[in-house]
Amino acid sequence: MGAYIIRRLLYTIPIVFGVLLLTFILFTVVGGDISFEIAGKNASPETIKEIREEYGFNKPLFLAWDSQLVRHFKDALTFDFGRALDREPVIDKIKRGVGPSLSLTIPIFFGEVIISVSIALVIAFLRGRIWDILAVILCIAGMSIPYLSFILFGQYFLAYKLRLFPVFFSPDLSVPQYVALPVLIGIVTGLGGSVRFYRTVMLDEMRADYVRTAFAKGLDVKSVLFKHVLKNAMIPILTQVVLAIPFLFLGSLLLERFFGIPGVGYLMVEAIGSRDYFVINAMTYISAILFVIFNLITDVCYALVDPRITLD
Amino acid sequence: MRKRCVILFMTILPVFVFAGCKGKSSAHDSNEMVLHQMLNSKIKCLDPVLIQDEYSMNVCNHMFETLYQYHYLKRPYQLVPLLADGMPEFSGDGLTCTVRIKKGIRFQDDKCFPNGKGREFKSSDFAYGVRRTADVKSLSPNWAVIENKIAGLDEFREYTKTCKTAADVNYSRSIEGLLTPDDYTIIIKLKRPWPQLVDNLMVDVRNAPMAKEAVDYYGKDIIAHPVGTGPFILKNWERASYIELVRNPNFRGEPYPTEGDPGDKEAGLLDDAGKTMPFADKVVWTIIEEDQPSWLLFMQGKIDARAIPKDSWNEAMTATNDLTPKMKQLEIRLYAFKDPSTFYLGFNMLDPVLSKNKPLRQAINHAIDRETFIKLFFNNTYDIAYGVIPPVLASYNPDIKNRGYSDYDPNKSKELLVEAEKIQGGKIPPLKIAMQGTDTFYRQYGSFVQRQLEVIGLNVEVEYMDWPTFQEKENKRQHQIFAGGGGAGIPDAQDSLSEYYSKYWSPGVNHFNYKNPEFDRLYEQTEVMMDSPERTKLYQKMELIVLEDCPAAFLDHRVRYVLVHDWNKNYKPDIFGYGLSKYYKVDLKKRAEYPELLNKVKD
Repeated sequence: MGAYIIRRLLYTIPIVFGVLLLTFILFTVVGGDISFEIAGKNASPETIKEIREEYGFNKPLFLAWDSQLVRHFKDALTFDFGRALDREPVIDKIKRGVGPSLSLTIPIFFGEVIISVSIALVIAFLRGRIWDILAVILCIAGMSIPYLSFILFGQYFLAYKLRLFPVFFSPDLSVPQYVALPVLIGIVTGLGGSVRFYRTVMLDEMRADYVRTAFAKGLDVKSVLFKHVLKNAMIPILTQVVLAIPFLFLGSLLLERFFGIPGVGYLMVEAIGSRDYFVINAMTYISAILFVIFNLITDVCYALVDPRITLD
Repeated sequence: MRKRCVILFMTILPVFVFAGCKGKSSAHDSNEMVLHQMLNSKIKCLDPVLIQDEYSMNVCNHMFETLYQYHYLKRPYQLVPLLADGMPEFSGDGLTCTVRIKKGIRFQDDKCFPNGKGREFKSSDFAYGVRRTADVKSLSPNWAVIENKIAGLDEFREYTKTCKTAADVNYSRSIEGLLTPDDYTIIIKLKRPWPQLVDNLMVDVRNAPMAKEAVDYYGKDIIAHPVGTGPFILKNWERASYIELVRNPNFRGEPYPTEGDPGDKEAGLLDDAGKTMPFADKVVWTIIEEDQPSWLLFMQGKIDARAIPKDSWNEAMTATNDLTPKMKQLEIRLYAFKDPSTFYLGFNMLDPVLSKNKPLRQAINHAIDRETFIKLFFNNTYDIAYGVIPPVLASYNPDIKNRGYSDYDPNKSKELLVEAEKIQGGKIPPLKIAMQGTDTFYRQYGSFVQRQLEVIGLNVEVEYMDWPTFQEKENKRQHQIFAGGGGAGIPDAQDSLSEYYSKYWSPGVNHFNYKNPEFDRLYEQTEVMMDSPERTKLYQKMELIVLEDCPAAFLDHRVRYVLVHDWNKNYKPDIFGYGLSKYYKVDLKKRAEYPELLNKVKD
């Protein structure tokens, strides 16, 4: 396994370089000069010139030791992402945003996985019956209602009318207090799609010969479902779950914006809106690295949960 | 196998769950007077020299002070001293201005000072603030306002260009027109009279006095470490979330105004006359960009005041523009006041189709039904714009309605279009209108204008773009027609008229790239004139020149509708003032009783 991990880690080098090259081309060559954005409205030409010098936009793009491309690679590899358009160091912004984002996305992620796998297991077992049909209808309804509607409804009725939760973030509130409602909304909105997916996975397993054999041997429902079906369904579940983890770091834009959670989802969209390439670049790079790492973790997990798979 | 899965899960879970949890405690004492305010957008920086937006200006004005401020209660706006000791003294030729500053004013305590104790504010701190704006290495976007005004300052800027880095700039280098003969006197020598000197240099927080020690100590991080002499100091700044200021223990205390306008006394605005400000212990601004949560927080009494959002209009206001019974029962007060703003569809006068075709520009003007526009988008509350100068300014021409081309007349538009097509030598090619946003408002706004112009036979394409793209195209003079507008920063129409001066073509403020030699001549003439009836006449004449040339289709002047909870005392609309929290006071008992009142009204 060690050799496999080392080999896979070596593969990440060209991938990361590819991402860096792509972001450079997109943001610097295609996106153009952002000196005007940094300078603000009505800035004088000499201020623009000064900005170009300070940020190195006056340097050649490629083919020079001090080119913008070389600097882009150097900064990324040393995790020195410079300062955002509002002059705050990018890394400080990300560090500050990751905590609130994870406090929102992790409970949503685990809540959604646990609840949806459990429901999927039960309704797969009850396939074709009224509960199964009802669950599928609810899933489709849940998937069809826009995400924003859940947020507006939850905020108005649960927070404002019934006063079960705070309407918005406040410095006086503890983390569990201000993330409770957005987490609840996040879980509920995600259930429709997840339950449908896991139900399909479970149904595939339920139709397998070994399930019939297990029942024929007289095993009880609980043993068949949790000892055999769930274990065999772990490969697609793991693929879905582990590969979703890097995206947790990107936060949830709408929930963060409507509930005032200062996370990285909000940061990323704001950076896109204001064309803050420094932030977008850093976020893209970090996301790419996380994605590669979690891809590797997925493969390792396959070997852990399925004895038929050997990494060597 | 199962055990392995459980171990894996249990190992990963706590790492993530606790990574996100950071305890936060900033609870308020119930006897503490806390002002709860909101901002629609996040604060970008707290360094005056880099400020580009009014939100940052507002917050900075609570921590930094300027030499003068506008009287809080008197209208029209009057200048009163803040850090200055008395009004400025001008020489007979208007070229030299002497300001004396108060003694004993101290900066807030900060680790940038020896032993962390704030030192006394001196005249050199003002000069340092102006020098920073001039220093090209500071990257200040506000240089244009003071360019070519103060003797020797432009030369100082040229000198800073020769310095390799910001650290190489010698701030003690003498400037002919910026003198501080002693710690309490400032002398400014101008190249030519500058009537807006006090408004632009001594009231505007972007040129606020700064402590050099703070800039040297914090370097680039000065954006997050404001060190001023104001009534409040920064306690917490969670960017994109909230900002919290607390009383500055070093603040000298400032008396609440003892005089006001007629009616102010009856409105209780002079109840605190002469009392020492600030009244509040703490000011918290929560950043809320979405309308629903901010409105709900206001209704819950967790925000003291709020402008009425478009979608909540019917909940707050009746058809006759009065408060609904529910709002009255909740003891919410309404303030409606005009904003010094003008919004328009601008024409790029360098565009080959529009520039040489005045009938086309006039046709577009007459084609837009401004009344319906205001009814549809602004609940019928804004004023129709007939010209450049907003009605709230003293130089507004009441007869402007009968001039220009803002009246809605599609038939006249069609006639003008025939004439325009003759000049064009055929059908007018499709016109492009740029919108500075991609949200629902801009899409509806774009569709409205497109439909109005299609009625008279014009083919229009609306381009929706984000603000940076819009700004970039504007700076590069690439728009054909653009939706624009803005407010005046000082109570002087010169600010609004500067948008039509040919020396300020994009990337300056003249985004129409409009030029009229007669307008330019008058602009240069009024630039050095002090406020007088003669200057007002010239302003109005300049406005008529612009209207005749038609570089824009003027649409509306904003009128703000603000709701204020009854516990918020001393609130008076102030369109040019910033840093107003020092005047505000909260009736804590009333605020504490509000949830009960809300319950009663709900029932």
